[in-house]
Amino acid sequence: MARPVNPHAMTPSRPGRTRTAPPQAPSGWYTQPRMLKYLLFDATGIVYLLVGFVALRVVWALGSGDAAWAELLRQLQNPLYIAFHVLALVSVVFVAVRFFSLFPKSQPAHIGPAKPPPQPLILAGLYAAWIGVTLVVTAVLAGWVL
Amino acid sequence: MDTTRHDLVIVGGGAAGLRAAIAAAVQDPQASIALVSKVYPMRSHTVSAEGGAAAVARADDNLEMHAFDTVKGSDFLGDQDVIQYFVAEAPKELTLLEHWGCPWSRNDDGTVATRAFGGMSTKRTWYAADKVGFHMLHSLFQQSLRYPNIVRYDEQFVTKLIVDGGAVHGVASLDIREGAVRLILGRAVLLACGGGGKIFPFTTNGNIKTADGMALAYREGVALKDMEFVQYHPTGLPGTGILITEAARGEGGHLKNSEGERFLTTRDYGVGTKAELGPRDMISRAIIQEIEAGRGIKGPYGEYVNLDLTHLGGDVIMKRLPMVRELSMLYGGADPITQPIPVRPVVHYMMGGVDVDIDGASALPGLYAAGEVACVSLNGANRLGSNSLTECLVFGARSGLAALRFAKGTSAANEAACARQAEEESARVAALRGKRGGERMAQLRRELGVTMEEGCGVYREQASMEATVHATAALRGRYDDLGLQDKSTVFNTELVAALELGNMIHVAETIAVSAAHRNESRGAHARRDTKKRDDQNFLYHTLAFAGYSGPRLAKKPVTLGIWEPEERKY
Amino acid sequence: MSEQKKTFVVTRFDPDKDQAPRQQTYEVPVQPDWKVLDALNYIKDEIDGSLSHRWSCRMAVCGSCGMMVDGKPSLTCKDALSDYGDKVEIAPLANFPIVRDLVVELEGFLEKLKSVKPYILRAKERALEEGTHRQSPEQLEEFKQFSYCINCMLCYSACPVVANEPEFIGPAAIALGHRYNMDSRDEGQHERNEIFRGEGTVFSCSYANECSEVCPKHVDPAAAVNQAKFNAVIDWLTGFVTTRGGK
Repeated sequence: MARPVNPHAMTPSRPGRTRTAPPQAPSGWYTQPRMLKYLLFDATGIVYLLVGFVALRVVWALGSGDAAWAELLRQLQNPLYIAFHVLALVSVVFVAVRFFSLFPKSQPAHIGPAKPPPQPLILAGLYAAWIGVTLVVTAVLAGWVL
Repeated sequence: MDTTRHDLVIVGGGAAGLRAAIAAAVQDPQASIALVSKVYPMRSHTVSAEGGAAAVARADDNLEMHAFDTVKGSDFLGDQDVIQYFVAEAPKELTLLEHWGCPWSRNDDGTVATRAFGGMSTKRTWYAADKVGFHMLHSLFQQSLRYPNIVRYDEQFVTKLIVDGGAVHGVASLDIREGAVRLILGRAVLLACGGGGKIFPFTTNGNIKTADGMALAYREGVALKDMEFVQYHPTGLPGTGILITEAARGEGGHLKNSEGERFLTTRDYGVGTKAELGPRDMISRAIIQEIEAGRGIKGPYGEYVNLDLTHLGGDVIMKRLPMVRELSMLYGGADPITQPIPVRPVVHYMMGGVDVDIDGASALPGLYAAGEVACVSLNGANRLGSNSLTECLVFGARSGLAALRFAKGTSAANEAACARQAEEESARVAALRGKRGGERMAQLRRELGVTMEEGCGVYREQASMEATVHATAALRGRYDDLGLQDKSTVFNTELVAALELGNMIHVAETIAVSAAHRNESRGAHARRDTKKRDDQNFLYHTLAFAGYSGPRLAKKPVTLGIWEPEERKY
Repeated sequence: MSEQKKTFVVTRFDPDKDQAPRQQTYEVPVQPDWKVLDALNYIKDEIDGSLSHRWSCRMAVCGSCGMMVDGKPSLTCKDALSDYGDKVEIAPLANFPIVRDLVVELEGFLEKLKSVKPYILRAKERALEEGTHRQSPEQLEEFKQFSYCINCMLCYSACPVVANEPEFIGPAAIALGHRYNMDSRDEGQHERNEIFRGEGTVFSCSYANECSEVCPKHVDPAAAVNQAKFNAVIDWLTGFVTTRGGK
């Protein structure tokens, strides 16, 4: 049931005086929901990489004239692109929720003389900032303001 | 023979051993100090101490009061010069530990907080919530990592002291992982191996407390002093024996019998107004008497009484006794905020040990001892709670420095002679590994426990003590026919357990024989047949030497000084 | 007491005889209030004396008896056997080289612990005559939780970074370093924060939070590591603004 991990995990700099068997991974890892959630959390990095490529494509189209821009907008209607963007949105929300929930306890008890605000306030502040910025950027991009 | 050479070899990595190592390392950064322990130091049993460590701290306290409390608590068997030195050094040692990072609990003004403890006339027990041993041990261990001249030998089990030309020159130690015996030479050896609670079946002690240090010294002809005095801590969880610290009583807990009666206040058990804060031996005896009178509460692991903390409130318990709450819920099935904790007396500490003087020096040149393994004697016939951790620090430091001084002044060993002894020891240990035999270790261990419980319990009488003397002698013989299953060399814990069992049987015999010859009741040695203390005939320390057919006894006078023995009433 | 039997599938490994770890099955009559450790001790005492495992205090404070029970890191003296089914798998702590049966190599951890300088560092040692430092209960609270670590190393078994990056010093070592950083008596924060900006230290943590999930003493090493990230960055930034004399 054991899967191998890095064979040098937790190995001391000087070898032990008897032969040891290589370290094993916890057999529960790949089935535990919590662990799968964490792996998903890390795996969203691939999604952001792809979003980055799409952004480059958009910027390129922007600089290539009206025809290229119209072509891009037509391509973005493709259901696959839409599905990808929905996936990206879901990833961002998932990561934000997990990150925000873990953020309060990562605040040290004090930084110099400053103390962090109480944890519920930190959480509220993070969500407010996130939603606020999202609304502002949406408003700008949708042309409602500016 | 794998040989290493050091100035000082310390056996045991608990509070006393680590303190001695640090003291010696600081004193002489060029000295090479070996710290040999059968477990990694942070596993030493110091870690389980809960309540606190005593030292004079408050303005309403003074050294004389602490000293007198200790002398009286010891039922006047403690050496008073030792006690006076101890109380004077205690505040310095605990302060030093604070400098090293120990997170003592604090008063609002930032000074160290103190709590009440059994037998103490005022609050002088420094505490760290209720995990003082854990914090002390980790602070000491982490501090010890600063000194490159402390060379650690972890998971090495010392099986024999190497004695040549009438002095100790090192140890032969079994490398538990490798399975080979190596020779660790040192111009002085300091034993800090702790006590031997595992000799008894019901104990607070962990698996590693097997009286190894006492046996090592005993087998080389050093006397074990005051072995009959075994402390029963009043409040252990039935079944597991896990300690519920005296601090629970210090913070105001009450002991109640099956009728809900706070028997220490309603009946006369000699503790007077101190009630639950009386000395441990008296409270243990009170609980046993309540149980024998039919007022104990019946449970699956024998009868017990209740320790009631419900009136303290959740705040106090969560702030000052969090580990007590965790332990009661995990192992006792009770949440102390709402339910009483089941408790009964349990073997906890051995007042007796290797006979040493105030410097920790034994009669064998080069052999020192400090901590529970030693009997200086600080605790006499009964130890007051929270004196023991301070003892480890005070005498660990003093003995470590004394041992280092001795090592610097003595000549190096005859290595060939020492290596020969180590080779013989290696052969002996190898022969024990996976040996064929008719006796089973678990069975011998069980029988040892049963006989020690019967003969050397809270209350003793001549007939059962003598039966235990014979039984332990017989076990010594049966041990030679031990059969073991594990033949492998690498990390053979069965072999280690067999060596530990041998140590336990030897030391158990000294306990039984010493107890059978003390014809009085004093401190923790309480007899049904001789109920009174007899200062005329028995005001001495019992010495037990290894003899041909068992321990032979001798007497050693008690150093009195300021206080003459008086009636011990609270 | 009622007698119930459970089956234990225990990892065995004897470097003298075995090429690789194997499994051995034992039938054990168990009591309802047993912890997992009680069953292991029963196996060693009554069935197979050759089973090697570490244990000592049996009250969840010495940290010796960490093992994998049903694939999850567990302090075997603390976890009730009744929480598990009729078949229980016991293996040595994950992510550590295996020495024998259920015993793992601990030297690696001790090296990592030493590397964070886990002791009070001061420019000038306080003299004994000056007595104890003043430390308020609030100041004690700031680091107290991180000092609860019993070095049981369950967090190392749970951490995916430990499994994959051998240089990562790991949750407990960082938590203990952070404990000293937050101790008001310590003056070594700059030194330790410099260590914490190095390879294989706090920034290797990707916040799996598994360490805190398995910690039996509620140390919350994930909080410590992530607080240490903050402190390390602030320390680096203030290094541009202030001058540090003599530390």
